[in-house]
Amino acid sequence: MTDIIQFHDVSHRYAGGHDVLSHVSFSVKQGEMVFLTGASGAGKSTILRLVALIARATRGQVHVHGQTLASVKPRHIPAYRQRLGLVFQDFNLLNDRTVFDNIALPLIIRGHSHRDVGRQVRAALDQVDLLNKEKVYPLTLSGGEQQRVGIARAVVTKPDLILADEPTGNLDPEMAHEVMRIFERFNQVGVSVLVATHAIDLIKVMPHRMIHLEHGRISMKVPLSIRHAGDTPYV
Amino acid sequence: MSRAAANSDRRQTFFSRLLEEHARVFFFSLGKLWQNPAGTLLTALVIGITLALPAGLHALINNVDKLSYSWEGAAQSSLFLKDSVSAERGKDLARELNARPGVARTTYISRDQALAEFRKLSGFGEALDILDNNPLPAVITVTPIHKQSREQINELVTDLSNLPEVDMAKLDQKWLERLYGIIDLLQRGVMVIAVLLSLAVIVTVANTIRLDIQARHEEIVVMKLIGAPNSFIRRPFLYTGLWYGFTGSVVALIFVAVGMAALTGPVQNLAGLYESNFSLSGLSFLAVLQVFAAGIVLGWLGAFLTVSRHLSKIEPH
Repeated sequence: MTDIIQFHDVSHRYAGGHDVLSHVSFSVKQGEMVFLTGASGAGKSTILRLVALIARATRGQVHVHGQTLASVKPRHIPAYRQRLGLVFQDFNLLNDRTVFDNIALPLIIRGHSHRDVGRQVRAALDQVDLLNKEKVYPLTLSGGEQQRVGIARAVVTKPDLILADEPTGNLDPEMAHEVMRIFERFNQVGVSVLVATHAIDLIKVMPHRMIHLEHGRISMKVPLSIRHAGDTPYV
Repeated sequence: MSRAAANSDRRQTFFSRLLEEHARVFFFSLGKLWQNPAGTLLTALVIGITLALPAGLHALINNVDKLSYSWEGAAQSSLFLKDSVSAERGKDLARELNARPGVARTTYISRDQALAEFRKLSGFGEALDILDNNPLPAVITVTPIHKQSREQINELVTDLSNLPEVDMAKLDQKWLERLYGIIDLLQRGVMVIAVLLSLAVIVTVANTIRLDIQARHEEIVVMKLIGAPNSFIRRPFLYTGLWYGFTGSVVALIFVAVGMAALTGPVQNLAGLYESNFSLSGLSFLAVLQVFAAGIVLGWLGAFLTVSRHLSKIEPH
């Protein structure tokens, strides 16, 4: 199986600051679901930002879809991002537009025809069990429902890679579990999923690989040990 | 399906999608403005006043131009004949000239008639008695046909002055020339004002759109995150600028119409006092189109300049 994401000795440094990532190497296979764990500031989000080309590696090489990201010119970033599905901690929905219009946006950006948009938006809503909510505004929904709208928007274009940054960070445990289950469902039909999270209790029961970060480096510790590293609210 | 047919089919769907997208943004941006009627009206009002000023001045100057054109008929040319020309030849010449194209009417005034008229009108009759003979030349007054350009009339007068019988020709319209000079100057002045106020429209729209961009900062970041190219994000702002220009044009035309209506009564009154049937005419159809074109182009331009400058600065981080 080919790798969809490859990091080769990647470092990232803020302008004038310290390294938030140093010498990170890992890969994610096509169709794999991987959790990125670690304390806040450990570099989880930075990895996702590098993959989404929101930031660029200071040193090292990042390859996504077999493409070297350093060679993607700024004007080609929109086209590059259109191949990804991005899910955010604070949902990033447009609150002045209906659920339908939010999910339709990536399709409209890609120039899909009117009829096509309606069909695909409803298919995406069906996948996140929100079919009856297409006409409401995001702020009238619960956090879990809003995140499901966010996921529907990310998957409506059928990307083969989903990136999620703390997708359950603002959700109660039950909703968080539901959201993770939705990611698993997409993974089961072949979509690669990379989720940054520190909800260890939620994911330790899920049969997926974890990449644990500490101070910008990949740590070899077993994930359960983080429970004693002062990382989860239970300690 | 052949490849050529498939290509043309694809091109057609490309254009129809582009059209669909532009139609969507066209109404989407209108809807956005509709949601904020007070702000939209205020901006339209500022643009309207700015556009109404040059448009109104333009209409006024056109009216002065029209008025001066109607005065042009009053311009007569006097041909002073040489003393060697006999009275019979003078009368014949007046008849000949009457048949020339561009000439409405000619009148022959003999030396004796001229003397009598001068004696009657000038009050210098006694001074004339001192002279041995009549110093006044015979004159043919030529009234050019009304519907001619200034150039044509000037040409006619030059031709007449070159006739062998004619000593000199004089066109009594120096004052009209001066008026034309003033109108030219005013027209140029209106152009300068129009250019300056065009800049004001651009700045007004640019500033409004800039605030709009700031208010929708989050939205733009989200759009960029989900892969929207700059052209896609820019489009609704450009259409918003276009709508501002359009509504501003409507307001400007209303202002000009109201202003014209307010002036019509007094102008007719004044014209009546001068026994003229002159009446104010409003903006021509072409001028109305020009106001719309100016508003739309300037609104779009103001939006384009500010969006291009600000959009690249907004990046997700």
